Amino acid sequence: MANYELIAGHDLIENPSPRCACMLVLDTSASMADGLFGLFSEKGSSPIDQLNQGVQSFIAELQADEVAACSVELGVITAGGSVTEQLPFTTAMSIDYCDQFNASGGTPLGEAVEKALQRLEERKAEYKKAGVAYFQPWLVVISDGGPTDSWRSVASRTCSLSEQRKLVVLPVGVEGAQMDILSEFSSRPALKLDGLKFREFFQWLSASMSRVSSSGSTTAAVNLPPMDGWSSI
Amino acid sequence: MPAEQTIVYDPHGMQQTLGVLFASGGEGEIYPLQGRPEVLVKWYHRQDLAKRGQQLQDKVQAMILLKDQFKHNRNLSWPLLSVFDENKKWVGYAMYKSEGIPMFKLAHAMLYARHFPGLDRQQIVSYLVNLIRQIMDLHKRGVMIGDYNLNNILCTPGIDSITLIDCDSYQLRWQDTHYPCPVGSADMTPKEQQNQNFSSLVRTAESEAFSLAIILFKCLMLGRHPYDIVGGDDPVTNLNRGCFAYGLGNRGIPRGHWYNIWSHMPHRIKSLFIQTFTEGANDPSKRVSPAEWLDALTLYQKEITKGWHEAAIKPDQPKNSEYRGCRDIESA
Repeated sequence: MANYELIAGHDLIENPSPRCACMLVLDTSASMADGLFGLFSEKGSSPIDQLNQGVQSFIAELQADEVAACSVELGVITAGGSVTEQLPFTTAMSIDYCDQFNASGGTPLGEAVEKALQRLEERKAEYKKAGVAYFQPWLVVISDGGPTDSWRSVASRTCSLSEQRKLVVLPVGVEGAQMDILSEFSSRPALKLDGLKFREFFQWLSASMSRVSSSGSTTAAVNLPPMDGWSSI
Repeated sequence: MPAEQTIVYDPHGMQQTLGVLFASGGEGEIYPLQGRPEVLVKWYHRQDLAKRGQQLQDKVQAMILLKDQFKHNRNLSWPLLSVFDENKKWVGYAMYKSEGIPMFKLAHAMLYARHFPGLDRQQIVSYLVNLIRQIMDLHKRGVMIGDYNLNNILCTPGIDSITLIDCDSYQLRWQDTHYPCPVGSADMTPKEQQNQNFSSLVRTAESEAFSLAIILFKCLMLGRHPYDIVGGDDPVTNLNRGCFAYGLGNRGIPRGHWYNIWSHMPHRIKSLFIQTFTEGANDPSKRVSPAEWLDALTLYQKEITKGWHEAAIKPDQPKNSEYRGCRDIESA
C-alpha cells in the first residue's frame, strides 16, 4: 500500500464516479479468537476466522459488480489491543490486497471510531477538492463485546451524524456483545448477528452498496435489500 | 411473486407460461414468455399492487390505448397488453424485449471502454441524435419522459440505435386525465421542481429540456455531472444556484480530462450548455429545446466526420486557438 496516496489522488481525477465511502471498524480483541466461552476450537470456525472470510468475500463481491467497483470506497480499521488502519479508503476496483486480521488484546472501539470519523472527514474534503459527488457515507462497527476505552463522546457524535442523515451508522453485535452500548453509536438500534453469520451480513452489505452506487442520485433515499436473510432484529 | 412456469392470462383469458426471471427492479419483476422470448411481462411487486394497483392499471390501460402510435417503434418498450394472474387479477403488462447496454455505461469514465470498444465522439453524438429524435416524437404525442435515467436508455454497441425502456413511468394525458411520472431524481430535476413529490409534479417542455441537457452533457463528458464543481457543494445545491463551472472564466472545472474535452466541443454546443445551465437554471424559458439540440448535434456529427473536430474520447491536449480540426493539421 506504499503507493496508496499516489493511486488515491489520481483515482478521483481519472474516475469521477460518485463515491460511497464505507468504513468498517472491526473488533479484533482477544475474545474474537475463541468466542466468549472458548467454544470455537476448530480451525476456521472462530469468530475472527469468520470475520476475515466475510471481509474478503465482501471485497470480492464489490469487485464483481462493475458499477459498485468504481463507486464504493472501502476503509478498514481494527480495534484489537491497539487501533490499526488496515486499509485506507480505496475504491473497490483498486483494492488488490487486504490483510487477514489477528485477534488480541482489549477493544479500543472509542479510539477506532474516532479515527474512522477523522478519515471520513478527510476523504469528504478530497471528494470536494476533486469535484466528485458522494453518497451518504457508511460506518459499520462490528463487536463481540463493547469498548474498553472511553467511547461516550464519540458515540454521541456518530449518533448525531446518523440523526442528521450525514452518515449511515450500522453497529453490529456478535454473540456476547453489549447491545445497549453499541446502540448508542447510532440513531437506529444495533443489529444482533445470529450465530456467526458474517458471510450473510457482508452479502447484505455488498447488495446494499450495489443499490446505492447504481442509484441515479447522490441525494435520493435508496431502498435497501431486506435484512431478514442474515439477522434477527 | 410468481415463480418460473407461472401461468398468466391476456384480456381474452388466453394463457401463456412465464419463463425464467429476467430482471428485478424497484417496481416489479420481468419475465419472458416461455416460447416467445421476444415478449416480456412486467409483474408489479405485490406491495405496489396492493397499495396503488388500480392507479397502475389505469395508467397502463391508457398507454395500451395509445399503443397504435408506438407499437411499430421497436426502440420503445411501450406497454402493449394487460396481463392477469390465475385469479384474473391484473398484475402488469406485456411489452417487446429490448437489447442494448445502458447509457449509464457510455457516460462513465471507467466503463465506456469495456462496453463500447473503439468508441469515438462521432458515435456518442449519433446516439444522442437518435435519443433526441425519440424524445421529440414522444413530446409530439404529449408524452413526457419525466424520470431521465441513464439506466433506462439502452445503446446498441457498434451501431447508433437506442431504445427507451421502463416507459410505464412516463407522464401522459389521455381523455382529459393526467397520468403523472411518479419517479425521478434530484440531480436530474430543474430548480423549479426540486423538493416536491414527483407524483404531484407536472413535467413541462422546459423541465424536459433541462433534464435532457444533463443527459447530453454527461454523455459527452464521460459521466461528469454539469454541476460537479471543485470545492463546491453537492450537484443538487450547485444546480439550484446555477453554478456551472464551464464557460466564462472556467472556474472550478475538476482536474482531469474534462477541460480538454470541453475545449474541443464546437462553440455552438458549448454556448447551448452554458445558456441552459446558467441562465436556464433559473429561467425555464432560456433552456435549449430538443429541436435546437437536434440541429446543433446533427451539425456537430457531420463536422466530426469531416475531420473538423476532435473525435477522440479523451483528447490529450486542450484545443488551441489555431486549431482548425484534424484535417488541417494533417494537411499542414
